[in-house]
Amino acid sequence: MKRIIALLMAILMMSVVFVGCGSTADATKDEAAASDLDYITEKGTLVVGITDYAPMNYKDDNGEWTGFDTEFAQAVGEKLGVEVEFIEINWDNKFLELDSKSIDCIWNGMTITEEATLNASVTNPYVENAQVVVMTADKAKDYKDAESMKDLSFAAEAGSAGEATISDNGWANYTAVKAQSDALLEVASGSSDACVIDITMANAMTGEGTSYENLVQALKLNTEQYGIACRKDSDLTAKINEIMATLMSDGTLDALAEKYELALVK
Amino acid sequence: MFWEVTLNLLKGFGVTCEVFALTLLFALPLGLIISFGSMSKFKPLKLICKVFVWCIRGTPLMLQMIVIYYGPGLVGKWAQGIENPGAIIAWLASWTVFDRFVAVLVAFIINYACYFSEIYRGGIEAIPVGQKEAGQVLGMKKSQLFFKVTLLQVIKRIVPPMSNEIITLVKDTSLARIIAVYEIIYAGERFIKAEGLIWPLFYTGAFYLIFCGVLTLLFGYIEKKLDYFRG
Repeated sequence: MKRIIALLMAILMMSVVFVGCGSTADATKDEAAASDLDYITEKGTLVVGITDYAPMNYKDDNGEWTGFDTEFAQAVGEKLGVEVEFIEINWDNKFLELDSKSIDCIWNGMTITEEATLNASVTNPYVENAQVVVMTADKAKDYKDAESMKDLSFAAEAGSAGEATISDNGWANYTAVKAQSDALLEVASGSSDACVIDITMANAMTGEGTSYENLVQALKLNTEQYGIACRKDSDLTAKINEIMATLMSDGTLDALAEKYELALVK
Repeated sequence: MFWEVTLNLLKGFGVTCEVFALTLLFALPLGLIISFGSMSKFKPLKLICKVFVWCIRGTPLMLQMIVIYYGPGLVGKWAQGIENPGAIIAWLASWTVFDRFVAVLVAFIINYACYFSEIYRGGIEAIPVGQKEAGQVLGMKKSQLFFKVTLLQVIKRIVPPMSNEIITLVKDTSLARIIAVYEIIYAGERFIKAEGLIWPLFYTGAFYLIFCGVLTLLFGYIEKKLDYFRG
């Protein structure tokens, strides 16, 4: 009797250890080596790992997810013919989430870093974030790098990332202005040699067809590019790249970039 | 604003309470079973239990949660990469992650059951052998001995160490956010990112304090109630 009880308890212990392993998946799944893309289309949902991060993914007043990446992912999901499901993850565990198939991709304004490319298969960059040095076209010819710019006078918005970039580079001759548009005005009027502003702003307000036709982006600083991370060796990466190219050419992404004030990587 | 924050935190606190209550519900009996195992005279079972308790008490709960949640999925992915799978590999390949909340519960239940089992063992082994012998002389069966002589005394003795462990459990639930389960700390931290408010995070402390305060009073009451029972 005692032996039997002991044995039953041993079995119970084992089952406790393995309770975590009970799988909900259909064990009769065809062959194991099916591609990642097939896996996603078969289950009919693309599970996207996000964090609450405006303007990429955030909740609107009705508590629904919105943002650049949200709409972008939904557009891609539509082309793939699958539902898109957004799951909030702990950003520290993003690659664990991906590898354990808890999510299918990380799509949340993720900067393409070495960490990302080592741990996942990353798509082509789609949005760019950078601080750019803007100056007049004739001056820009003579100043190609940060070192040569050290004697110029700069303008930037007080408290902006551009201001931080100026001090990071040790550019001493600098004026703080109220807004990024004021910084541009400083340069256009000639009271400063150059200004440092966001790339989105620079794209929208300088160059041909804008009010500052004679200003150009002389140098990009602190460039970050955003990409989407899929599982390593996944064929989803190529598919997203393909769909992304289509959405770029048909203007869908341009409209989104304008709506959320972001700069696309062209 | 204050109301909005409070409502949001209460939502998170609900999850905290759920983890707490369900963990207790399952870990209390499971701990007793493990404690019997580690006191068993059947050596292999005793060894299994001891090693199991060592592994669980010897690793951080945070790590256990990560292993339990991500582990099956990672094993499944690894097994799917193997060519010409045998029956076992094919079975492993079907492993997937399960619900986050379930993973948290499994981790907490196993972890706390191990701690509880040692408290039970201490309580049971503290009962003088003479009582057991007296019971045997009176012709009591083993089960009668346990339920009618030992158990009530054990309960009285283990209330203080158990209350300690249970209060720790209240606060340990905050670890659940590691695998993105929306508990109260997670709810509080959200306000920092989404709204730039830091005070909701500190405000969560009030919820824990009140909950632990209630538990402390409850345990004080239980101890008093059991006081007539001098072991």
